[in-house]
Amino acid sequence: MSAAAHEPQARMHFAAFSGVPVLLGITVLLFALHIAVGAKPLPLGTVLEAIFARDATVFDHMIIWDLRLPRALIALAVGASLAVSGALMQGVTRNPLADPGILGLMAGASFAVVVTAFFFGTAPLVFLPWIAAAGALVAALVVYFIALWAPGGATPLTLTLSGAAITAFLSAIISIAHLLNEDSFENLRVWLSGSLAGRDIEMLYITGPWIAVGLLVAFSLARQVTALAMGDDVAKGLGVKTGWLKAQLLITVVVLTACAVALAGPMGFVGLVIPHVVRLFVGSDYRWIVPYSAILGAAYLLGVDIIARIAIAPREISTGIITAMVGAPVFIHLVRMRAR
Amino acid sequence: MSTSAGTASDHVVIRSRGERVALRLPVRALVAVGVLAVLLLAVIGVSLTVGSYGIELETVITTLTGTTVSDAIDNVVWQFRFPRTLAAALVGAMMALSGGALQNVTRNGLADPSLVGISQGAALAVVFAIVAAPGLDYSWRPIIAFSGALAVATLVQALSYQRRRGNNAIRFILLGIGVSAFISSITSALLTYGDIDRAISALSWLAGSINAASWTDVQILFVWCVVLSPLVLGLTRIMSVLRMGEDTAVGLGAPVKWVRYALICVGVGFAAAATAIVGPLGFVGLLAPHAARRIARSGVGLHTVLTALCGALLVALADLVGRAAFAPIQIPAGLITAIIGVPVFVYLLQRAAAKSHL
Amino acid sequence: MAAWNENGADTGIRLAASALCAGYDGASILSDIDLTIPTGKMSVLVGANGSGKSTLLKTMARILTPSSGTVLLDGKSVHAAKTRDVARKMGLLPQGPIAPEGLTVRELVAQGRFPHQGLMRQWTREDEDAVNAAMATAGITEFADRPVDSLSGGQRQRCWIAMVLAQETDLLLLDEPTTFLDLKVQVDLMELLADLAHARGRTLVIVLHELSLAAAYADHLVMMKDGRIVCAGAPETIFTAERLKHVFDLEARVVRDAETGHLVCVPLGAHARRKASVRVA
Repeated sequence: MSAAAHEPQARMHFAAFSGVPVLLGITVLLFALHIAVGAKPLPLGTVLEAIFARDATVFDHMIIWDLRLPRALIALAVGASLAVSGALMQGVTRNPLADPGILGLMAGASFAVVVTAFFFGTAPLVFLPWIAAAGALVAALVVYFIALWAPGGATPLTLTLSGAAITAFLSAIISIAHLLNEDSFENLRVWLSGSLAGRDIEMLYITGPWIAVGLLVAFSLARQVTALAMGDDVAKGLGVKTGWLKAQLLITVVVLTACAVALAGPMGFVGLVIPHVVRLFVGSDYRWIVPYSAILGAAYLLGVDIIARIAIAPREISTGIITAMVGAPVFIHLVRMRAR
Repeated sequence: MSTSAGTASDHVVIRSRGERVALRLPVRALVAVGVLAVLLLAVIGVSLTVGSYGIELETVITTLTGTTVSDAIDNVVWQFRFPRTLAAALVGAMMALSGGALQNVTRNGLADPSLVGISQGAALAVVFAIVAAPGLDYSWRPIIAFSGALAVATLVQALSYQRRRGNNAIRFILLGIGVSAFISSITSALLTYGDIDRAISALSWLAGSINAASWTDVQILFVWCVVLSPLVLGLTRIMSVLRMGEDTAVGLGAPVKWVRYALICVGVGFAAAATAIVGPLGFVGLLAPHAARRIARSGVGLHTVLTALCGALLVALADLVGRAAFAPIQIPAGLITAIIGVPVFVYLLQRAAAKSHL
Repeated sequence: MAAWNENGADTGIRLAASALCAGYDGASILSDIDLTIPTGKMSVLVGANGSGKSTLLKTMARILTPSSGTVLLDGKSVHAAKTRDVARKMGLLPQGPIAPEGLTVRELVAQGRFPHQGLMRQWTREDEDAVNAAMATAGITEFADRPVDSLSGGQRQRCWIAMVLAQETDLLLLDEPTTFLDLKVQVDLMELLADLAHARGRTLVIVLHELSLAAAYADHLVMMKDGRIVCAGAPETIFTAERLKHVFDLEARVVRDAETGHLVCVPLGAHARRKASVRVA
């Protein structure tokens, strides 16, 4: 981190600022493109027209408003939430391998949703994010303590392994629940593969405000995360109340992850990849890492979802499959780098 | 047979005249072999009686001895339950031996073929074959699986090898997890891409289910067992000195270099053949060698036998439970072994972490 | 059992390296080493960290393959000969070996019989005698049925030495057998090793970190620096202050202990020198 930090500060900040409009531009472009492509390709002009001058009688406008716009918005929200969760987790655990998927939060969230559905039938949509959040929170704590109790403590390696173990365990139970109640699980099945297809815009209305709150809290805590990333003692020395900060961060991460899972199902490796890419450009200051992760995460998931829809058209690949294909090699690279 | 002075009484020393055969074996482990074998037979017996069509044990035995009680019972026992139960036991033993070999060669108690991507590699190769060349004969599957699995094993080994420090146990597993995530995502993509019918046949196989095992499957498994088991038993002496590190093993005159490759190939072969028939079966390779060690301490040779028995017993039992617990719905054995395996993995992780910090 | 006694009297050279170059992954560490190991004596390799002493030992033990040059054991290259045949003549104790969990002392020592055994011949009378004799020599018979990992560091190291002894070889190579042990334990181990050479005629090659121990116990001292042998010979002739300065970059005085006649090295840091000058004043 020191190499980047000792760069001339002014130039770095300028560079950091200047990236924002570029990245936002790219995101907007991808957003429009995302809406334009599909089974019936629509010209960008129609897309803009539909958004800014909606005519409910035009069939293309209906497609855009009822199908494509929700999906694009969901991709945007999920990408931003997961990337910011990942960034915060990496900062607070000082673990470059941290990601809501790798550390078991997604499995916990999915598990909670499935178990609820199993015992109480389909719960009202409003509760879904909260059930997911409870599952994610419990899983996060279990993973953390398993790693902590391992001799050597909660190192990136033990955290990752206990995350993988918990994920394997919960997935097995989820699969069994599936088999036992196949019919009512058909909806959940698509959801569990981490797909953005056919998602309900209702859910976005429910989770949207929470995602917004979560992102705002993340932005406001980012400065302290930078201190925390240098070690608990350093942070304390700088006047950060580490215990309280960690609790806030944990809640933020859990809420963001749960909302993302409720929206799109488990989507692996987004939270791992994006913060690392961001770090290449803005260094180790979380005041920059967090907002950039949000924008890049949104752009990334839009891009991936475009590929998911057009790669083997007319069929569709689950978006989660592609994020895993991209993310797993990054993960491998990080493990190798860490080991030097 | 003779017991000699200076040997603790919990061992028997077997020496033929001329000392062609001269072994020192722990009594407890020998007893354990007997007990496990009896238990395995018992589980197989029970397994034959349980199902949607309940059959008395006596009737089962009568049927197995060749007397036809009724055509229906004959059919159920001979065509469905017996091959399935045998396949479960064989697959369990093979996954267990694969885990044992891999743990030895990586000196890593956490190594398991399904954890480090070897099973996934086999699965990917088979799915690819199902989707790309649907007409391919069934018996080719193990060989396709073997090449996929071997490729992945080589990849993980190459990725995790560090020049001076050799292999680190936990890094090896982590890389395996990364590689298996990558391979699984490709498999899923292939399944999406492939024809739905074929994809579904591949999908049911991917859950690690022994439901449909036939006599052909048992034959294939048996042939691979017959080829690989003597190899692994022949290597146990070298595995024994390899436990103390490569340098010590070289000093004692073990041909370490080629044995490394041989052990990896044997481990991959067992896992690939088992995976080709019933799909990836999680955590058996992790559980069985550990359980065998817990049941009775012994040299590597006897431990290998115990490991195979533990694996066979575990999967036979998992299959039985998966079949009976929520009947008529069948839970694949792979899910049950995963649920048992994860807590054990967590337990082992705590100790492996301690060692890697030496 | 006492096969080594016959050969012990033989003064012919059995192990020698000539024009040896070796290293890891292309980075060369040893350059052009010529070394002969006197039979029935204790040879000790010393040198600063990274001087190549362990690399030399590993190359002689065929753990590492040389990039050029040869190591001859009884006139045959150890790298070309069958590894099992070499193991019947030459034993190796690597640095910091780790015993598998729960292995008992007897089981560990029995592993030393590996080159003499077959799949179905793993516990002949000969094996049993060799293991018992090795445990007796190393003084660990009383622990025979305890797990190795329950013993202290010194006892554990004795177990490993017993394992190499059970191999019944005339030559023993040991890589830093005393590192991380208490001084008392180090001395006991060196006594044991010296006894093996002097009373039982075995040929030992030992890499040591402790200079004073090396000077006290070595029959033949080999000093290494930057992958080359600086000098080799009896400590009497080569263990001098100038050599220590040259090889280790260490300001030290070499004094002879009046009672034992051993050479001892007394390091002179700036602190010690200041004290000395105060005393002189």
